[in-house]
Amino acid sequence: MLFDSLLASYFFYGWWDWRFLGLMVGATTADFFIAQNLLPGRPDSSRKKWLILSLLINLTILGIFKYYDFFAGSFVGMMNQLGFHHLPLPLIRIILPPGISFYTFEEIAYVVDVYKGKVAPSNSFLDYGLYISLFPHLIAGPIQRPGSLLPQIQKERSFNADQFFSGLMLIFSGLIRKCVVADNCALLANAAFGGQLGPPSFWVVLIGVYGFAWQVYGDFSGYTDIARGSAQLLGFDFVVNFRQPYLSQSLREFWRRWHISLSTWLRDYLYIPLGGSRNGQWKTCRNLFVTLVLAGLWHGANWTYVVFGAIHGIFLSFERFFLPAAKRPQDAVPPGGWAGALSVWAQRVFIFNVFCVSLAFFRAPTLGAAVHLLAGLGHFAWQTQYVAALVMLCVFSIPLFIADLLMEARKQEYPFAEAPYAFRTAMAVLAFVVLALFSGSQSSTFVYFQF
Amino acid sequence: MLFAKTVVGACALLVVALELCSVYLVRRYSVTFARVSRQYMEAVRARPAGPGEPISVLLVGNSLLLDGVDVAQLQERTSKSLRIYPIFLEGTGYYDWLYGLHRLFRHGARPQVIVVGLETYSALDNGVWEETPALLFDARDVLGAASDMRLDHTATTGLMLSHWSAFWGMRSLFRRRILRALIPNYDDLFPFIRPDDLTLPNGQDLEAMVSARVRNLRELCEAHGAKLIIVIPPTPASENEVRQMVNASEKVGVKALAPIDTVKLAPNFYEADAIHLNAAGAVRFTSALADDLPKTVSAATNHISQ
Repeated sequence: MLFDSLLASYFFYGWWDWRFLGLMVGATTADFFIAQNLLPGRPDSSRKKWLILSLLINLTILGIFKYYDFFAGSFVGMMNQLGFHHLPLPLIRIILPPGISFYTFEEIAYVVDVYKGKVAPSNSFLDYGLYISLFPHLIAGPIQRPGSLLPQIQKERSFNADQFFSGLMLIFSGLIRKCVVADNCALLANAAFGGQLGPPSFWVVLIGVYGFAWQVYGDFSGYTDIARGSAQLLGFDFVVNFRQPYLSQSLREFWRRWHISLSTWLRDYLYIPLGGSRNGQWKTCRNLFVTLVLAGLWHGANWTYVVFGAIHGIFLSFERFFLPAAKRPQDAVPPGGWAGALSVWAQRVFIFNVFCVSLAFFRAPTLGAAVHLLAGLGHFAWQTQYVAALVMLCVFSIPLFIADLLMEARKQEYPFAEAPYAFRTAMAVLAFVVLALFSGSQSSTFVYFQF
Repeated sequence: MLFAKTVVGACALLVVALELCSVYLVRRYSVTFARVSRQYMEAVRARPAGPGEPISVLLVGNSLLLDGVDVAQLQERTSKSLRIYPIFLEGTGYYDWLYGLHRLFRHGARPQVIVVGLETYSALDNGVWEETPALLFDARDVLGAASDMRLDHTATTGLMLSHWSAFWGMRSLFRRRILRALIPNYDDLFPFIRPDDLTLPNGQDLEAMVSARVRNLRELCEAHGAKLIIVIPPTPASENEVRQMVNASEKVGVKALAPIDTVKLAPNFYEADAIHLNAAGAVRFTSALADDLPKTVSAATNHISQ
């Protein structure tokens, strides 16, 4: 069974380009054998050397395939500006292997956890290979932790009808998020960022960044739901990756709700090793800033992602510095009544808009394009098609927002998760009709596939 | 588990119900379906003219010809020399007619002349009409077109489903209807968010692409004993684009007719969308086409009709 699953996952990965399969299998094999040398009983100096070797292998693979051209190109550009031309620094122009950012982080998590004694090294290559390559999370996460997924692979699984049904519901939820919400909001975001809606103005920026905010949320949370649902059909439970992020009252809370598997990975394997919040305010802010800039860079080799991360880093540092724990919105007990509700919603709207501004950099192809778009915020030129665009945005985003409110109030993983089976069955059938009517006929890739 | 099976079963039942409803709606209410089905049946009966009979001409095109040609007036004015079989289907372009003609010939149509209405966009468009492609294509044509257009698996599957399923084909129409009801002025927004907007190549690239496509059409027609003529319907295209279309066609030995100088056609001859001709524009275009077409057909076939 494990062998079949591993073979199927490798076949799935190699279907697009079998050469990248070799890279993944190579990295998996190296880490599997290195982990055997990280057992706590061995000499510390030897274990440390093996850990460093593993980190070097993983980060070198990621660095070459994802970042080499970016840094080499940026360096050559900078030297050109300084008058040093024709530097012998060739670009390798290689296509980014699918899922490399995700499986590299999973491998690093494994060797570090084995080194720290948090998990025992796997004795079976089948188990470890499947932890890395299990197809639902392979291309775009959620980033799995060895402590969570490896034991599930190692133990005997039996068919669970409830889990199977929930998996089906999650897949429906994910398809609606992706094919209905994200793909339709993408039409608006693409038109705004592509200039079809006219030159940048307040309204174009509004349509563009709000459209993209719902696109990227629907897209990635949709992928996550499909991945988690598919895993449940096979008897696995993947970590939750989104918890209604647009209801956050602070950016700190936002990162506890958005792409949780990445933010917790960065917290555990980067922020805390850097010192976390243990060495005073300034160093905490520095650590936050470095972590968030690297989080931005994780998304892609482009200065736009660096700026996206830097905006979050600066804002999080600002929150940390000026709002001590007791005053942080998510930690404070809101006053009751209308005043309390108003305060909560004002904070939510504010944080959503901060995120939207940072998304202008995330979505724009270059820094110049992002600045050019945001510079239009001061112009209020109106065109008749903006009414339809704004209503369309509401038509496709408000249902997802209401679903989030329901899930937040009931602490559920998908809308109506605790409702009777018959009701959920009816909702699934309704979802099927909505999907059939509103999904596009062109293939539309997931935003996070490029990472 | 019972409910998981119920979900699957209910979805399957729903597929059948939606399909039956769609078939009923299409056959009962679709003006396009009724018109194209009737025109297609007539076109299949087109045969070479006998001595003293008017030349059989198959005239195909998209909404530019549908709105721009008064078929009754054209037939009346050319009846002595031409017997015209029109098929006009909205949103069609080069690939629709390349494979549509393949199937017409397979079904036995043998017109002497085929006139294809193509302007620059429909000549270079890399898409086919996705609502009920069964009107023009057989399944093998769908696969051929998908292969030529280099569609990915998702788009090819979508096209095949549109071919076999009325619901799948009509769902973009249903979607537009629902969105029109929900979103005020949705039609104003639609041109801005259309995902398949075509960017025209420049100069020589454009001519080379058009020439290659017109050559394919010509070879297909000649293989079945028909002559090909291109008619360029008026749109607010630049003079340059029309000239490039004419040059590209004539390079591969196909006459391209532009009955009206599109640059000189005043805006008041167009509908509000500034693309399709209005009634006054149609009268003018039909009249010009009725003047030019018999001469061009006659020259192409070397046939003296009178």
